[in-house]
Amino acid sequence: MREFEYVAPKTVKEALNLLATYKEKATILAGGTDVVVRLRDEIIDPEFIIDIKHIDELNGIKFDKKEGLFVGANATMHEIQNDKNVKEFYPFYADACGHVGSKQVRNKATSVGNLCTASPLGDSLTPMYCLDATVVIEGPKGKREAPVREFITFVRKTVLERDELVLGVKFPYVECKGIYTKNARRHEVDLSNIVATILKVGDEYRIAYGSVAPTPIRLVKTEEFLKGKKIDDKVIEEAKKILTTEISPISDLRATKEYRVSVSQSILENSLKALG
Amino acid sequence: MKKINVKFTLNGELIELEVQPNHTALRVIREQLDLTGAKEGCGAGECGACTIIVDGLAVNSCLMLAPELDGKNVLTVEGLAKGGKLTDIQQAFIDHVALQCGYCTPGFIMSTTAFLEENKKPTREEIEVALAGNLCRCTGYKRIIEAVEDVVNKRGGK
Ligand SMILES: Cc1cc2nc3c(=O)[nH]c(=O)nc-3n(C[C@H](O)[C@H](O)[C@H](O)COP(=O)(O)OP(=O)(O)OC[C@H]3O[C@@H](n4cnc5c(N)ncnc54)[C@H](O)[C@@H]3O)c2cc1C
Ligand code: FES
Ligand code: FES
Repeated sequence: MREFEYVAPKTVKEALNLLATYKEKATILAGGTDVVVRLRDEIIDPEFIIDIKHIDELNGIKFDKKEGLFVGANATMHEIQNDKNVKEFYPFYADACGHVGSKQVRNKATSVGNLCTASPLGDSLTPMYCLDATVVIEGPKGKREAPVREFITFVRKTVLERDELVLGVKFPYVECKGIYTKNARRHEVDLSNIVATILKVGDEYRIAYGSVAPTPIRLVKTEEFLKGKKIDDKVIEEAKKILTTEISPISDLRATKEYRVSVSQSILENSLKALG
Repeated sequence: MKKINVKFTLNGELIELEVQPNHTALRVIREQLDLTGAKEGCGAGECGACTIIVDGLAVNSCLMLAPELDGKNVLTVEGLAKGGKLTDIQQAFIDHVALQCGYCTPGFIMSTTAFLEENKKPTREEIEVALAGNLCRCTGYKRIIEAVEDVVNKRGGK
């Protein structure tokens, strides 16, 4: 690991001042499960590491039915997957967080870190896409909010400026049933070949997939087709065809393009059957 | 590069020392503090050989920067036995011969120690999930799982 200075601000204000001073020379450290690996492999070479874990304002998970769920930047996968309200009202999100890495990784990794890393296969992201979650950001000019679908722009790219910090993610409360599915080579501790969350809200479906495009995506055409339909074999077959027009997976060391298309279709079929 | 002063509890003892920010907690524990129980396997969060317990939770010390130790309560495998007496988990690994080369063992024992505090009556499947972040090249896992199940049964019987 190359040399850098380590700073651990105690307030958001202090962190923003540091970011404003150091800009592209600084890297924010949350759980560090991406950052430390990238430091070690010298993929990144910051002069300053800003550890945000001592900022109490960024801790915690809040919920009420009117405001929905707020997940602070320091909330770990372990905290989210075991949170009473997340388990009751967003079980598919609890499930998603429970599928990130190993227990040791989940004890450190944050969902906001997962979001800011902006990997197409980020396990905790498809629930955010299904619920149209909002990213709460603070910078030198004050607070702003970005819909998650606009926040991630490409593989490892977001709209976040170098002097901005993500405070947390807001999920509206929606009465729904939902299913999260991860397909990987191993049952535990593996990156996804395909990851998906499918929700049924009233007589509509919301479908988000990861690892099928440069960013996680919503399958809006498939959603439109399924609106108000009763699920039977014919409808499922048609939906599977439409799905293939919306995804563009690649072949890589984990899986081939063809395999990913086929798995995506199976996930859709299984989820629709289970949700009814 | 500015060194960082960290104060933390290590195996029950208050420690204060200067660390280099670009060292991992694992490196500090092994090389500055001479506790070589935690091992480096992959150095990238994959194998669990470096597992330590921080504030009650198992973490990979290879993914923790040295300055992150500040203010924490840290337990390594060296801190488990009291007055030369092994914990029931350590003893069970011996009784079940849940190791061959032993490189992975401290990591498995730390993961198990933290997990059985959190879940006192786990199923076999829950044990497997909790230990999935620890890899073993030698045993094939069967004896490790059996050792953990044995501890659960014996503790439950008390
Ligand atoms: C062994 C292993 C297995 C893994 N398995 C999975 C897996 O199964 N699924 C999966 O999705 N991921 C996996 N990961 C990747 C990683 O654990 C996740 O992406 C994790 O959620 C990152 O969170 P973190 O808190 O550790 O982020 P960090 O590493 O601290 O940060 C990640 C990025 O986000 C930025 N950042 C963090 N917080 C903020 C903030 N508040 N504001 C602005 N920027 C911020 C950082 O600067 C950095 O660029 C794995 C990693 C390892 C090492
Ligand atoms: S050395 Fe830390 S997980 Fe392998
Ligand atoms: S006993 Fe050799 S790696 Fe587990």
